[in-house]
Amino acid sequence: MKKAVSAAPGPATPAGQARAAGGKRDILSRVAERVYWLGRYIERVESTARLVTVTSNLLMDLPVRLPLGWRPLIDITGSGPLFDSLFDEASEYNVCRFLISDARNPGSIIRSIEGVRENARTVRETMPRVTFEYVNDLHHFARSQLPPGTSRRRRREALDGVGSRVHQFEGFLSRNMLHDAHWTFLRLGNQLERADMTTRTIDVGSADLLAPGHDLEPFHEARWRSVLISLYAMQSYHAAVGQPVSRGPVLEFLLRAGNLPRSYARCLAQMRSSVRDLPRNRRPMRNCNTAIVALANADVAGLEGPALRAFMDECQQHLGRIHDSIAQTWFDFQPKPDPKKGKLAS
Amino acid sequence: MSIDWTSYDATRAWDELVTPDGASRPGADSVMRVLAGLSPEELAERKAAADVAIRAMGITFTVYSEDEDGGPAQIDREWPFDIVPRLVLKHEWDEVARGLKQRVKALNAFIDDVYHDQRAIRDGLVPADHILKSREFRQECIGIDPPHGVWSHVCGTDLVRDENGRLLVLEDNLRVPSGVSYMLENRAVMKRVFPELFEDYIIHPVDDYPLALAACLRSLAPGQDTMPVVAVLTPGIYNSAYFEHAYLAQTMAAELVEGPDLFVGDDDCVYMKTIAGVQRVDVIYRRIDDLFIDPEAFREDSILGVPGLMRAWRAGNVALANAPGCGVADDKVIYSYVPDMIRYYLAEEPLLANVPTYRCVEKQHRDFVLDNLDRLVVKPANESGGYGLLMGPMATHAERDAFARSIRANPRNYVAQPMISLSTAPTLTDGRVEARHLDLRPFILSGADTYVTTGGLTRVAMRKGSMVVNSSQGGGSKDTWVVEVEPSAGEASSAAGAGGRGEAGSSAGDVT
Repeated sequence: MKKAVSAAPGPATPAGQARAAGGKRDILSRVAERVYWLGRYIERVESTARLVTVTSNLLMDLPVRLPLGWRPLIDITGSGPLFDSLFDEASEYNVCRFLISDARNPGSIIRSIEGVRENARTVRETMPRVTFEYVNDLHHFARSQLPPGTSRRRRREALDGVGSRVHQFEGFLSRNMLHDAHWTFLRLGNQLERADMTTRTIDVGSADLLAPGHDLEPFHEARWRSVLISLYAMQSYHAAVGQPVSRGPVLEFLLRAGNLPRSYARCLAQMRSSVRDLPRNRRPMRNCNTAIVALANADVAGLEGPALRAFMDECQQHLGRIHDSIAQTWFDFQPKPDPKKGKLAS
Repeated sequence: MSIDWTSYDATRAWDELVTPDGASRPGADSVMRVLAGLSPEELAERKAAADVAIRAMGITFTVYSEDEDGGPAQIDREWPFDIVPRLVLKHEWDEVARGLKQRVKALNAFIDDVYHDQRAIRDGLVPADHILKSREFRQECIGIDPPHGVWSHVCGTDLVRDENGRLLVLEDNLRVPSGVSYMLENRAVMKRVFPELFEDYIIHPVDDYPLALAACLRSLAPGQDTMPVVAVLTPGIYNSAYFEHAYLAQTMAAELVEGPDLFVGDDDCVYMKTIAGVQRVDVIYRRIDDLFIDPEAFREDSILGVPGLMRAWRAGNVALANAPGCGVADDKVIYSYVPDMIRYYLAEEPLLANVPTYRCVEKQHRDFVLDNLDRLVVKPANESGGYGLLMGPMATHAERDAFARSIRANPRNYVAQPMISLSTAPTLTDGRVEARHLDLRPFILSGADTYVTTGGLTRVAMRKGSMVVNSSQGGGSKDTWVVEVEPSAGEASSAAGAGGRGEAGSSAGDVT
């Protein structure tokens, strides 16, 4: 007679035991929310650091008399009113201080890192332990290396250091974290923040930043170049599109390229596949689909001027609805005990 | 200059590593030799490496203070750690562990008795008032039968070593004792910083604790489910022990929950809110004080707890560890009766001695205490964290007078003990080693089985001469090694059970 189950060697850790015997466990709503925000903050840290670095480089290429400056960074990050209430002028010093180290700006790098750390603390038991060391290291590094008024050269090194620490953290998670619902929510936060940043960058880039009637013909397409560079997409653009930089192909590429990690379409597709893995996903799924269909039906290359701005607004609204449905479905729901779902009282 | 052991002063109290004439105690020779072989730079480097590891691992605790404007503020401090380990010999530890199990068994029997027949009162073991008027006595718990008759599933008992090298019990923390994660992390840091020391010793591992705790908690689950859902209930990230709550949840693969994650259904069962809906919870390791766990039953203003939790617990639908009401035995007056409890409930002689304790509520004791305030330590019966003490020999006249008034006004609230000169161990201070006083907190788990940590958390008073080891008041910690030594390695340091039993020195009974 065959025994049903032979005694298998037990896992070495209680963690292993619980996972092995308990099978898939559904994560707490609060934890899901924290991990999602962790994903959003970590993406925000990286993209803000990139924006500042790229802008510094870009400005070095432009003639001094070109009235293109640091202001677009404030607009891209959607923090105009707050900035204006704190500073008189969008100078390099003020903008960098505001975006990097200013504790009064909830979107500054330092505050975002604090957001990462706070959320990581709350969910530290759900992630590989060493990742918390990375988060701590990122926090200590940013605090010590990015005081206001850091020189351009030091600033660049420090921002690169922030970026590489973020990549280290994400790389470690990607390779070592259990790709369960925690991971799915983390990615969801990443993707939503990333899509948000891409659409904002296009939105701001599409505004005529150059004063009307300027005579700087060589810089006519400068804004589209700067948009590409801000998204680290210039090299990819050349490789994938192979055309000179101009509005139509750039928009097509940044919004619709299926192989560009930061394209709006790619982010939407990733969000949809994350959402598909989660339980009770009807509403967020529907919102993802609506956004994808709206993008597919748009004449992206033909968008220009007010129509382009209106379309980018529409994209932002789609993202807002996806976020809201994620929050309502998984974070803020009103629970009712379901006798079929929970175990019955013994 | 490297560490010079000849200038180390081990004569102020019993020293854990060094004898009064400067020789190493059994087992301590390798540690002393390795330390003496390091240059000051190397020593500083090891210390810095430990600090970096602690910072990187995010081992912190929270202290509460005031900000610049006088408002409440909290600071996350990195855990203060001393790189010189504290050694305990295995055969001594085995004796201590037996004594601790015996003690906790008696304490649990006492709590169960308090909430059932109260034989202890009827038979005159403990006066009724001490129990029924205790701040920690919970009427709501009467008649409840927690699994295995156990109320205090996790107990942290503080041990001190006196001038004669005897380990004594200073207090039992039965409510929500903390510190065990630091015990575990200290070992992890030590392995990073001093890997070579581990080659010379057989050091018993400490990291089976999370496994033991998980097994203990699972053994409390209602029903027959072989893999019950266990949750650690934390007040949240602003609690000073949050690091530990997260650490334990992670290492046990339990859910770390906050009050709002849970709710009690109409069926009196506890559920947690998950992304898939709701999930029944079987066991809650609550790290929240009794009075905050259920606003329906206790403090209405508690936002940390779960309305209806007591209802679910009384119905037997969820296990709570530690059980509500167990704090009735976590009281320094009740503490003084533990040796009697062991004799009464277990019909055994205590293996571990108490520090002699005078109960101010008894006139004879009180008169003695009031006459000898300059020689005694006076403690409030119900405080923890080392707050509200009077250290008689160090206190001013005014302080002693104030305490005398408090004692007369509310004698039940105070006990007094002789000033024990806590043992010392070499501790790194500014590049040299000096003797610092310390204690030891092992943790005892009780469920279907009983378990005692291997060693425990050694806490050190980092200020010279100070005996206050609490981390909230500038205490640090050391890794605690339970080591095997060759049987021939000289005389064993005096084992806990070797001396008198029940009470060290004079019994609290004969004051005059």
